[in-house]
Amino acid sequence: MALGDFLQQLDGLASDAEAAFTAAADTEQLEAARVEFLGAKSGRLKATQKQMGAVDKTDKPAAGKRLNETKQRVDAAFQAAQQRVAAGEQVRRSSSQFVDTSLPGVRPELGHLHPITQTIEELKDIMGRLGFSVADGPEIEDERHNFEALNIPLAHPARDPLENFYLATAEKTSADVLLLRSQTSTVQIRVMEQTPPPIRIISLGRVYRPDTADATHYPMFFQMEGLWVDKHVTMADLKTVLRLFATSYLGRDVHVRFRPSFFPFTEPSVEADMSWGDKWIEFGGAGMVDPNVLSAVGYDPEEVSGFAFGLGIERLCMRRHGITDIREFYRNDVRFLHQF
Amino acid sequence: MIVSWNWLKDYVELKMDPVEVEQRLMMAGLNHEGSETVGDDRAIDLEVTSNRPDCLGHLGVAREIGVLFDLPLQLPAAQPAASGPAVEETVGVRIDCPDLCYRYTARVIRNVTIGPSPEWLADRLRTIGIAVINNVVDVSNYVLMECGQPLHTFDLGRLAGGQIIVREARQGEKFEAIDHNTYDLAPGMCVIADANRPVALGGVMGGAETEVAETTTDLLIEAAEFAPISIRRTARQLNLHSPSSYRFERTVDPAGVDWASRRCCELILELAGGELADGVVDVGTPIAAPQPVVLRLGQVERILGITISAAEVQRILTTLGNEPVRADETSVEVIPPTWRRDLTREIDLIEEVARIHGYDEIPEDVAVPMWPSSHTDAERVLSKLRRVLTAAGFDEAITASLCPPEWGQRFSPWTDREPIAASMPMKGILADAPNDLGQADRVRQSLLPSLLEARRYNESVGNSRCELFETAKVYLPRDGELPVEPWTLALVTSHDFYHLKGVLEQLVATLAPNVAPEVKPTAQPLLDADRSAELTLGNQPWGFVGELSPEAAKQFGLRSGATVAELRIAPLEEIAVLIPQYQPQIPYPAIDRDLNLVVDERLRWSELRATVESSAGEFLEAVEYKETYRDAQRDGADKKRLLLSVVFRSHQGTLTNEEADQMRDRIVAACEAAHGAKLLA
Repeated sequence: MALGDFLQQLDGLASDAEAAFTAAADTEQLEAARVEFLGAKSGRLKATQKQMGAVDKTDKPAAGKRLNETKQRVDAAFQAAQQRVAAGEQVRRSSSQFVDTSLPGVRPELGHLHPITQTIEELKDIMGRLGFSVADGPEIEDERHNFEALNIPLAHPARDPLENFYLATAEKTSADVLLLRSQTSTVQIRVMEQTPPPIRIISLGRVYRPDTADATHYPMFFQMEGLWVDKHVTMADLKTVLRLFATSYLGRDVHVRFRPSFFPFTEPSVEADMSWGDKWIEFGGAGMVDPNVLSAVGYDPEEVSGFAFGLGIERLCMRRHGITDIREFYRNDVRFLHQF
Repeated sequence: MIVSWNWLKDYVELKMDPVEVEQRLMMAGLNHEGSETVGDDRAIDLEVTSNRPDCLGHLGVAREIGVLFDLPLQLPAAQPAASGPAVEETVGVRIDCPDLCYRYTARVIRNVTIGPSPEWLADRLRTIGIAVINNVVDVSNYVLMECGQPLHTFDLGRLAGGQIIVREARQGEKFEAIDHNTYDLAPGMCVIADANRPVALGGVMGGAETEVAETTTDLLIEAAEFAPISIRRTARQLNLHSPSSYRFERTVDPAGVDWASRRCCELILELAGGELADGVVDVGTPIAAPQPVVLRLGQVERILGITISAAEVQRILTTLGNEPVRADETSVEVIPPTWRRDLTREIDLIEEVARIHGYDEIPEDVAVPMWPSSHTDAERVLSKLRRVLTAAGFDEAITASLCPPEWGQRFSPWTDREPIAASMPMKGILADAPNDLGQADRVRQSLLPSLLEARRYNESVGNSRCELFETAKVYLPRDGELPVEPWTLALVTSHDFYHLKGVLEQLVATLAPNVAPEVKPTAQPLLDADRSAELTLGNQPWGFVGELSPEAAKQFGLRSGATVAELRIAPLEEIAVLIPQYQPQIPYPAIDRDLNLVVDERLRWSELRATVESSAGEFLEAVEYKETYRDAQRDGADKKRLLLSVVFRSHQGTLTNEEADQMRDRIVAACEAAHGAKLLA
């Protein structure tokens, strides 16, 4: 028997069965249709199945496959009709088989985003609504962008060899000393060098300082840095933006306070705290962009002013989720990842 | 800096509650770290930022309190009475290294009586945690903690030749400090020498041989100014940090050097007796006079966003010790005090006005203008990518950017260059890793080894399901430029090659429905030779996918097999259709045909598919791969059967069976002509 004929027979059977089951109005009619097509002894499906023997051996796989598909189609049509009829008759007797609905369902396996990513996404989302766009920059930097343009002179302790991951570049002759950036403020410089004001950006990413890894330190961590430069940007704008941010992040009205501090790239420099319940918690460092920094990128400090702020992502995330060991973030134990 | 509450009372009247003082100091820049009771005194721990060395003494802190509470400051007179011959007759001072020591002063007191300090002085030192030794040493420590200027007292009788020579240390020179450790000195360090040998490590620590002891009768009192960088290097190189080096690193008040020397002599005469030689030996660079600074009042509002009255601005600046030069309606001009070398610009004065006036005065609810912000294309692609991969069951990992050298040797798909070495390793990050690895001191050029280590860790703690991905930068060196830092994606899964390939195909389909990755053979070292491929996207290299070879699994300490991939993100950004364009649905049903083709074993699906697509005609909607069978007996040894389904649909109307058959026949004929494929009926 040719494969084509056999397949055609199967297709015909399937559509006949579907029509008959659909037409059945009650249990009796449905039972009659069932015997006609699915009857164990002389049902049409059984009869067609027997003809498989006559199909050329090489075509058996294809024939078998279609036979299976047909069986499934007919079964599915019968089951659908059965449900419809049963519902229509408002079955009085309960199902003969006990259905244990307390058995667990079949759960799809979903992956989880890293808590650092989730925190970053939330911060980006909030800052985006406040008009800050994301800027990216290199993690391997030269001294101009990591120090000089940020008003950190050669004699400054922050440039000490033991405070930074300096890099041995292939070119020994090169005058440029490279290092893994120690702060995301480098991106400020790169953006301002290439873009005239106004600027409203955040930069997020990895920064590096050679602390030995322990529960509260890791030699790599994530920072968020914000920068707004325009005509007439003031410290009141800084305080307001940080308060809007903190209120959005914590979800209720919070206040911001400034304590004087010192950073080479801002003047005045402050530590910003936000009120959390009845406590003040450290938010991060902030200040007005130092005129030397504005000059270093070719801006006129008499024309524009700006503020910058920075904060550690891990610290924020740890406080929010009660994580007590920073190393958990980089161990990538899936039992840890699945908690967030 | 720990300060004593009782001590501060010498300089400023303290009727306030200490807690209020601590609070105000914190809000003005001296962060309050904590306080404790010591006897009848209160020790207040204040954090002093590196720009404020003037607050590394009680006087500086008292001055801040005076400004904050509008109270006058009382300074000790520091006018010791001289009764001896001129000091020059006893000692000479020479500075051979003006780069390391800017200024050196010496005074001499003879016939002192060494003994215990009075209780009031001992108590104050104890409050701030300084060991009490004898009246002379205690006085020099007391004055250090009073004004922040380090002092040193030598036993004059043990100084050879009555001569002080300030010079650079010589290579191989040894020096025993008063801590009774011997240090190897080196050029770049500043030593104080007598006629024969080093007697002090300038600005860091005095020497054991000339220290003041019970038998001492004659003293040389040193007050000097050393170069901050040299002091910092010396202290660090020798790991010898002292209250003295701490202050010189942050610079001292050049005009305060002589005051401190006089104050020290005054107290020694009072507590240990003796006769002060007349005058002072004062050698070195003259003190540079601070330059006047103009503050335009309009700038205060421009930077702070609040208005502060001219009178208040002047009051703050003057009480901080700035000398008024000129003032009018729009500006003030002042000369900053010598102890505030951080005040050189208008902006520095604005900060002073702000912190004393109070940052609480700055509002937190001004109207901030709206501003547009949007996601970059790169962000959108990354966000879609994360959505697809988490839906496919992958957890996101984040691993360190430095790795041991071995990892780069095992897998470096993006470059043949040596990875960049860091000046020091990341310490403690490989605590869980196998200990046959080197230190994490190479900037990584590939993500995959880090992910395999994360998988190994998960295996070791019994996490049976571990599907991971990471998106991060890798760092590829270039000549004469900063390294390139391409964003990269790596994945590891327990499933097989086709599963991971399917995930990647789905990722591409989500970003660009009309693009599919193509494969090329690859010989990446970690991957199984057959079950691996290089992937391209629109003819651009994209990355590698494959099952880990058993040797690779062993190298990374993995117990079970894994399939991995590492891919560049940039090609995804290029093909991504971030704003899909609507295509109307054809309202007519599709018709499909199954094909069972016998072909050569080596025929690739991609080649057959191309033939099907080019021969099917305009109504072809899809070609779907179903299955591969083999029947060596019927078809011969080097044959396989490819089962596929083709779907046709016309936008003009429902296609008939006959039309579908014709199209199928055309496809079969083309496959036969191109590949010798035979249709099984």
